[in-house]
Amino acid sequence: MSDVVICASNLCVEVQSKKILKHVSFTVHRGEILALLGGNGAGKSTTIKTFLGLLTPTSGSATLAGVNVHQSPAIVREKVAYLPESVMLYGHLTAVENIRYFLSLSGKPKTDADIIESLKRVALQESAWHTVLNGYSKGMRQKTAIALALLREAPILFLDEPTSGLDPVAIDEFNRLVTQLAEQGSTILMVTHDVYGACHVADRIGLLREGEIVGMFDAPDHGNIDSETVHNAFIEGVVA
Amino acid sequence: MSWLDIRRETTFVLRRKSVVILLISGLVLSLFSVWTGSMDVAQQRATIERLLEADKQDREEVIQKHSGYGEAAYYSFHLTYAEPSSLAFAALGVRDVYPWKHRVRMLALEGQIHESDTQNPELALAGRIDFAFVIAVFAPLLLILLLHDMRASERAAGRHDFLTVTARSSFWLLRAGFIVTALWLALIIPFIGGAIVNGVSASLISLVALTVAVYLLGWAALCYWVSRFRFPAPVLASFLLGVWLLTSFIIPAVGDVVIEETYQGPAGGDILMTQREAVNAAWDLPHHITMDAFEASHPQWEGKTQTSSLFEWKWYYAFQQIGDEKARPLSQAYQQTAEDRYNAAGWVAWLSPATLLQRTLTHWAQTDAPAAWQYERDVREFHAELRHFYYPLLFNGREYSAAALEERPTFKPNADD
Repeated sequence: MSDVVICASNLCVEVQSKKILKHVSFTVHRGEILALLGGNGAGKSTTIKTFLGLLTPTSGSATLAGVNVHQSPAIVREKVAYLPESVMLYGHLTAVENIRYFLSLSGKPKTDADIIESLKRVALQESAWHTVLNGYSKGMRQKTAIALALLREAPILFLDEPTSGLDPVAIDEFNRLVTQLAEQGSTILMVTHDVYGACHVADRIGLLREGEIVGMFDAPDHGNIDSETVHNAFIEGVVA
Repeated sequence: MSWLDIRRETTFVLRRKSVVILLISGLVLSLFSVWTGSMDVAQQRATIERLLEADKQDREEVIQKHSGYGEAAYYSFHLTYAEPSSLAFAALGVRDVYPWKHRVRMLALEGQIHESDTQNPELALAGRIDFAFVIAVFAPLLLILLLHDMRASERAAGRHDFLTVTARSSFWLLRAGFIVTALWLALIIPFIGGAIVNGVSASLISLVALTVAVYLLGWAALCYWVSRFRFPAPVLASFLLGVWLLTSFIIPAVGDVVIEETYQGPAGGDILMTQREAVNAAWDLPHHITMDAFEASHPQWEGKTQTSSLFEWKWYYAFQQIGDEKARPLSQAYQQTAEDRYNAAGWVAWLSPATLLQRTLTHWAQTDAPAAWQYERDVREFHAELRHFYYPLLFNGREYSAAALEERPTFKPNADD
């Protein structure tokens, strides 16, 4: 895991004249999962939006695979799949149609067989594949979006509160899937409130407070980060 | 942009019920306007056909019933008309305000022309729902409803960032382009059908189709530009509806009032009264006063205007002529005012694209005010021909001959279409 894929270097971001990120620096290597933990307003989503080229840093840089996001947003977006917190795919389209539409939009169309295969992989029940999303639960929508992200075959994944609103079984399935993707070489940056989920899935956890990284925890070889330690740090350093 | 992109956006947009409903509304409005316009024009043509037949019979009956030129001229009605152009079905213009048919007699003409007064109609937008009105007024409304929330609805749904990050290239323009094209087709297909049925030339059909496309593109560009602002959809819609209301109704209405106040002239009723008073007064005047005035403007009949009885047809028509001459300054002022108002309305139209489009379409359809004035000039010319035909017969005291009356002039409409 020597190749740096995601790199924040002294990243500062202001939104409506308010400093949201203050000199944030971190790196994520190929095949690694970095989880940023933080309370509301800590700057988690801002970090992701900056890497997606949706926000422009006031200073510092955000690079993906060595390319500065804000100089070449179109190039880096081709390498990125993004799973927002609240996935609002089109309600008037079915799961298959939604995925087909977004894949076409990304310029990477797939066959319906590939789409079905991906939906099976995320365990979306077969009866829902050809049903419009208006009747879907949040978990089902999330699975559809994950299936889409998988089909994008993007080497870099940004996950914004990916397990928020999912039931425990779905969270477990999701975590397994994310681990699998990292093992296959995907580089993943996720932001979450979920301390235990993050400890379970991430190789490293960064604690974010008021726009600054206040702690970083590495997973031991062949094990998970100790959730108790992170939880205590989160409570003391982040929430307090 | 590839064929796949176009197919994707087409399929996507057509799956949205709201879009489909609005496109169908456009199609129905266009169909309705083309159908009612075609019916209206067909009715006008049928009326002309019927009147032409009746006119032919009238002319024959006059020859059989009467035995003097003055009498024949008095009882003869002559049909004049302005046939609707092939494009009139799409832009009915002022044909429902200005007369397009008159049955004129040899009597004083001004009274016959100004028997019904007309308001200044140049800016009267909210009138008939013809194709021009549907395009000028309803089409922008449909476009606003279709495009205003293109981005705002995605933002509200929390999808905007996801779309931006996922899309390989900007698809907003493609989506808007498809919507505009679909609306254009929904509006223009009924027009093309109607145009073919009404016999409009291919070049004119193309010109109208292109003009409508340019007009829609103008509004689409505004909607597209406004949709980029990060405001909620209702705010964007309110702004665009405000622009629509201002340019389609408020500016034309205010312009109408200002123009009417600025350019004031005589009413049609004043012309009618002036002419009738002159004619009526002549009955009580000694014949020579009328004839002296007549000779002043018609020196060729000098020495042939003496009368020997209380009533003579040449005296009767001479005072009709004098009546017209007395009313002429008013009539000219009336015409000048109408032209001034029309020209001023042309300047106002630059602030109101809807009015500008309607003016353009009615101009091509020859249903605008200048076309109505042209018809009025044709009527005057025809009436002058009538006088030129009868005066020699009356003032030279020619023996009555039915065969001579066969040579009476017949109105020939301008067929520039």
